Amino acid sequence: MEDNKNNIILSAKDVVVKFKVRERTLTAIRRVSFDFPEGKVVAIVGESGSGKSVFTKTFTGMLDINGRIDSGEILFEGQDLAKFKTEKEWLTIRGKKIATVFQDPMTSLNPVRTIGYQIAEVIIKHQGKSKEEAKKEAISLMERVGIYDAERRYDEYPFQYSGGMRQRIVIAIALACHPKILICDEPTTALDVTIQAQIIHLIKDLSKEYGFTTIYITHDLGVVANVADIVAVMYGGQIIEYGNVEEIFYNPKHPYTWGLLSSLPQLGEKGHELFAIRGTPPSLFEEIKGDAFAPRSDYAMKIDFEEEPPFFKVSDTHFAKTWLLDPRAPKVDPPETIQNLHEKMVAITAKGGIYGER
Amino acid sequence: MKRYVLGRLIRSIISVCFVLSITIVMVYTMIPREKIFQTDTSLGKYKGDALVNYKYNIWKDLGYLDFVQPSGICAVSENYNSCVNGGADFKDLVADYETRGYTYVPYENGVTGFVTRDYPAYELIWNFFSNLIEVDNPWAVQDAENEELQRSYYITTGSNGMPAVACSGCKHKYQLYIDSNFPFIHQNVISLDFGLSYPTFNGLETMDVINDGQGQVVQIEQTFPSGVTQRSALNQYTCEYKQTSTLDHLDTQKFTDNYANCKNYMESPSMVGTSYLFGIIALIIAYVIALPAGVTMARHKDRWQDKLGIVYVNFMIAVPSLAFIYFAKWIGRLFQMPEKFPELGFGDVKSYILPLIILALLSTSSLIIWMRRYMIDQSNSDYVKFARAKGLSEKEIFNKHILKNAIIPIVNGIPQSVILCISGSVITESVFAIPGMGKMLPDSIKALNNRMVITLTFIFTALAVISLLVGDLLMTVVDPRIQLTAKKGGK
Repeated sequence: MEDNKNNIILSAKDVVVKFKVRERTLTAIRRVSFDFPEGKVVAIVGESGSGKSVFTKTFTGMLDINGRIDSGEILFEGQDLAKFKTEKEWLTIRGKKIATVFQDPMTSLNPVRTIGYQIAEVIIKHQGKSKEEAKKEAISLMERVGIYDAERRYDEYPFQYSGGMRQRIVIAIALACHPKILICDEPTTALDVTIQAQIIHLIKDLSKEYGFTTIYITHDLGVVANVADIVAVMYGGQIIEYGNVEEIFYNPKHPYTWGLLSSLPQLGEKGHELFAIRGTPPSLFEEIKGDAFAPRSDYAMKIDFEEEPPFFKVSDTHFAKTWLLDPRAPKVDPPETIQNLHEKMVAITAKGGIYGER
Repeated sequence: MKRYVLGRLIRSIISVCFVLSITIVMVYTMIPREKIFQTDTSLGKYKGDALVNYKYNIWKDLGYLDFVQPSGICAVSENYNSCVNGGADFKDLVADYETRGYTYVPYENGVTGFVTRDYPAYELIWNFFSNLIEVDNPWAVQDAENEELQRSYYITTGSNGMPAVACSGCKHKYQLYIDSNFPFIHQNVISLDFGLSYPTFNGLETMDVINDGQGQVVQIEQTFPSGVTQRSALNQYTCEYKQTSTLDHLDTQKFTDNYANCKNYMESPSMVGTSYLFGIIALIIAYVIALPAGVTMARHKDRWQDKLGIVYVNFMIAVPSLAFIYFAKWIGRLFQMPEKFPELGFGDVKSYILPLIILALLSTSSLIIWMRRYMIDQSNSDYVKFARAKGLSEKEIFNKHILKNAIIPIVNGIPQSVILCISGSVITESVFAIPGMGKMLPDSIKALNNRMVITLTFIFTALAVISLLVGDLLMTVVDPRIQLTAKKGGK
């Protein structure tokens, strides 16, 4: 495993994604570069509209019809995915090498096709197996993701499954072709808490067994703390801070990350209002000058409104895109709420919950 | 499932009966009854008391009222001759009727009169339903001159060589038989009696008017029970019992029993048959055009295929159907198509082409737009996104996933369109003078043919209700999520 540490499976370079919305152009992703190390779990966090889903959709060519990759490169297995134009090209990647699990398992499956059909379909399509072989493999996959009595349930329909079981099926379908990368787009948001933990563990176990790289898209920091190796924080169409999970949680550098962590409801004190980042995310229709978070930041300096900050290195694995790290900047401490975050979280969740299980 | 279907059937029957009751009461009580004679030409033959008797007899036949002439009043009198001339106990008998709710109306001759009583609404409804269903049975025939008549069922071979269940003592000889006409197995056990048609198709039963063949009789070579083989128009399967006193030598020459009252083979199909023939073919054409068109439009949304389709659909919706029919007729004239159906008649393919195309095209626009809409609705759903993420091609997604979902609401409507073909299409049939069902309802309303209006109301409502049920049953076949259960609050 140590050898793999620096192996990059997918590398995005200066990716710009634009959408055309009612004759106006919206820049959803602004020059994002990120390397996904092989075999790791990368979590992309950020509030709604920060571009985290759009960013990962570019890896599978699943952007909505009005969106396109304007510039940049996405390197995967020696190919530049950003250059892909036709559906035929995408079909060699999508589902086969990069699979996706969506948010809502209740609607992800075709309601009028049997569960078995929907799994076997992928196996037949991508592995060229016969119907019988595909059925066999589908049943073993169903067993692997924790469906009891898989043989009997093979011919059942999605409505006969609970939400958690459907998400297991969705995962089974995603894994049916042994993908190199599994993108989980808020896989547990629509599930209740106990099922969330089960699904997260399942994905974690499977990633070890099948050796795929996992990309989590979530705004649930509890999930992040539990599963991620690397965390990338997105804001206004850019990654503004990334690093190992410990570094992001215990030594965050960007004011937005501070705000995000302070907003954890678990940190709220009885009798006090919960913390919320003031203001609204920037409009992506206009060109953003300087640091996108500056108008909402308590720590904004004059330069934040004038010039976009570069990535400052915090450690070998930890980078943050804020002028606060410039040697000339005044020294500021993160808000008190998130200092000693680890101890606080452990204390809060000692009675239960998924944070402490790591 | 069985309980559900049974429940639905019972509810359907109740609702049909309800609709019929309303129709009966409306037709019998709200339309001035004098108006039904408007088109009756034989009215001019009568004058004075004869005219009054004629009218009251017709009203009695149509079920408006009960009407008793002096001969009826006096039937129970010991002194009949004096009674019918207004003497003896005539007054007492009339008084007796009057206590039972009848009114006495004197004739112009001043000597006698008649008694009459209008049926109230509940009695109208009761009379209708109690006579509606007629079950044929071996004790149905009463014939004093044929006391040796056997009363039993037996299996025999029909005139076309196929096995049949026949009956002696029943009204119809053949109770169950097989022939080459749809639906191949036919029965004469249960029949619906809606009464006689009046004033149009006078003297015929309303069901026979719409069910029997039209046009000229057709003679075919056939062998009769007596062994005689000859060309004859008689359809032996329709034979009914004929009283011994009315049998003539032509009957006895062909038949060995009393079942000699047969209908003829006709050259053209019945009104129902005609409408159904047109309806079904047009329907098939419409579906064959519209479904692929809708699917293509959805697949190529916002491209030229879609835009062209929308232009077509808009045109079809915007242009009134009558205008479209005449426009199509004008184009048809360029190809020497007949203007009216009877010009070339049933035998010529050319008669059918224009009406069929018009009927089909008229129903395509809504089918296309619904199909397109269902397809597009489905293609925005999450499972399609996931199917795409699975790596399926657009074509596979459309054919294997979207189509099956989008077709469900369409399937629900198919039985309805198929069954309702029977009712024909009013405008097209009128323009082309096609002898079908479409014109029957407006025509019979115009002619104040009350019995026919009620018959048609029954047929149309019954078919509509049944087709809804069949549509729902069909849904359970294509959509696994739908299960029909009689559970309380169930789906």
